[in-house]
Amino acid sequence: MKAQKTAAILRVEDLTKRYGSGTAEVAAVKGVSLEVAPGEVVLIMGPSGSGKTTLLSMLGALLRPSEGSIQLNGTVLTALSERDLPRFRLREFGFIFQDFNLLSALSALENVVLVAEMAGVPRKEARLRATEILKELRLDKRLQALPEQLSGGEKQRVAIARALINNPSLILADEPTANLDSSTGHEVSRLLRHIAKEQGKSVLIVSHDTRIQDIADRVLWLEDGEFKEARTLAIDPVCGMSVERTKSPTATWQGQEYFFCSKGCRSEFLLEPHTFIQGEA
Amino acid sequence: MSLAARYLLQNKTRLALSLLGVALALMLILLLDGLVRGMQRQITVYLANTPGSVVATQVGVRNLAADNSLLPPGTEDDIQKIPGVARAIPVLSQSVFFELHDRKIFAYLIGYDPAKGGGPWRLAQGREPRQGREVVVDQTLARLHGIKVGQTVEVGGYRFPVVGLSAGTNSWMTTLVFVRKVELERYLLIPGLTSFVLVEPQPGVSPQILKERINQLSGVTAWLKPELMAADLRIYEGFFQPLRLMRGIAFLVGVLVVGLVIYTATVERQREYGVLKAIGAGNARMYGLVLSQALVMAFLGALLAVLLAYLVAWLIMVLRPQFLVVLEPSAILLALLSGLGMALLSAIAPVWVVARLAPAEVFRR
Repeated sequence: MKAQKTAAILRVEDLTKRYGSGTAEVAAVKGVSLEVAPGEVVLIMGPSGSGKTTLLSMLGALLRPSEGSIQLNGTVLTALSERDLPRFRLREFGFIFQDFNLLSALSALENVVLVAEMAGVPRKEARLRATEILKELRLDKRLQALPEQLSGGEKQRVAIARALINNPSLILADEPTANLDSSTGHEVSRLLRHIAKEQGKSVLIVSHDTRIQDIADRVLWLEDGEFKEARTLAIDPVCGMSVERTKSPTATWQGQEYFFCSKGCRSEFLLEPHTFIQGEA
Repeated sequence: MSLAARYLLQNKTRLALSLLGVALALMLILLLDGLVRGMQRQITVYLANTPGSVVATQVGVRNLAADNSLLPPGTEDDIQKIPGVARAIPVLSQSVFFELHDRKIFAYLIGYDPAKGGGPWRLAQGREPRQGREVVVDQTLARLHGIKVGQTVEVGGYRFPVVGLSAGTNSWMTTLVFVRKVELERYLLIPGLTSFVLVEPQPGVSPQILKERINQLSGVTAWLKPELMAADLRIYEGFFQPLRLMRGIAFLVGVLVVGLVIYTATVERQREYGVLKAIGAGNARMYGLVLSQALVMAFLGALLAVLLAYLVAWLIMVLRPQFLVVLEPSAILLALLSGLGMALLSAIAPVWVVARLAPAEVFRR
């Protein structure tokens, strides 16, 4: 089904997901609306249980919403049949996972080739295309390596190549830096921004990693299934979580006010505040 | 190489053990089938190898394997006079026990006229009986009991000189011993009697027509040879049931082996299958991935099973020559079809696992 033309590549309207029924009904996502422009990097943050995974699953056409609509490139996902959804995902989405999720029996090259072949690309062409992308991601010497032989950063780059091979409109990344060390995580973040800006692909990231805010064009805060203003957030110096200033326990040290996710973190901070401030620095 | 093949080869030890399990189950199916076929062939070996396409027995006889048939003197001549009969071969038969090394050996004495036929169709050594109580015994019986041409064997106090060794006339429960008909009549004290007559039609005469003509004779029932062979086989049907049951059990064992291996591997790879579904693999592709692993395993197992079955069948027949294991080219087809059945049945549970995999689960840790 084609919808009206729009500048936004992704348009989400009043998206709601409810689980259970009657008194046991729980709304994991409540009336979320969102637009993402081509080439834009959007970061969605929020505490655990806020509905991030549910939202990401719905945006990736892996989970049907209870209400609302999702349009990608003008196609209304919610109107597609179960039979059509896998093919749509294959061509329009690139998925990047926290655990990389490469197929353990296949080499780096084969992991990427497989996805192109699934989309109907002839094997020879798929191999050429995959080799080219992997080379661009500086993996030209690791083409034949199995996932177990790759470092975390290499695995995530292979996963990025796999996400790009079918030239999708939207890249959905779930905690892409969570299993990477600081510098590799930073490198992967920059790579995602590079892909968005150079190739014009929209990138939607769900993460706890505050460092990704640096590369995001927009940061959205999801809490209790709803978006909240990101500018009211602060970082808990103890655990690193983003927290709402108005609802968080606070402490003042050396004239500076700090915000915490819980009283536990606040107590820990007050024991040796200099440790956390130095650490942050 | 396909993803299915990669998955199979990823754990080579598991693959090897699984193939062995499948091959052993299929080999057992082939051997049991070969044993049944061998027994059936042994039961009907006499009728299958002697001349004639119609057999005349005493009226009321239901088979030759368990019923006694006795035709009065002159029946052979009456049959010979029927238009369309080329040759009527009278045979007198009797089950007896040979005494060899203080052991009783069950045998089937065939009394025949060497001039007319109905005797051993292949001689491994010596000659046919010409006079007196000369007999031809089976070469396997001779080998098992150290009987040589020139020696004698004893039946009911009578001594029979062995003048020849026949081939292909032994079975797991009895053995054929050939003697001149007149001598057997004398031994059984039934001069002129005949058990059955092998009838050969003249060229152009249909056995069915001949059978109908012979049935006109009083006290005689005529059979087409395949009918009588089928009647003999029915007597032994009870012997084959346990073997067929074991064959069915072997098939189930094979299904369980393939099924368990593919199911375990599928459960282990649930996350990867979930990833494939999330990325965009449809259910048909996922089912194909699981099923092709089962098919490859069953196919390779079937090939290995055929090799093993031929080897073990040869060993059985060397070590226990009274057993005939018949493995025909159709055995390969049987193995492949059994393997295919195993693959299809064993894939049901793994496919069920894959079908209910929610792709959204890949985002959960």
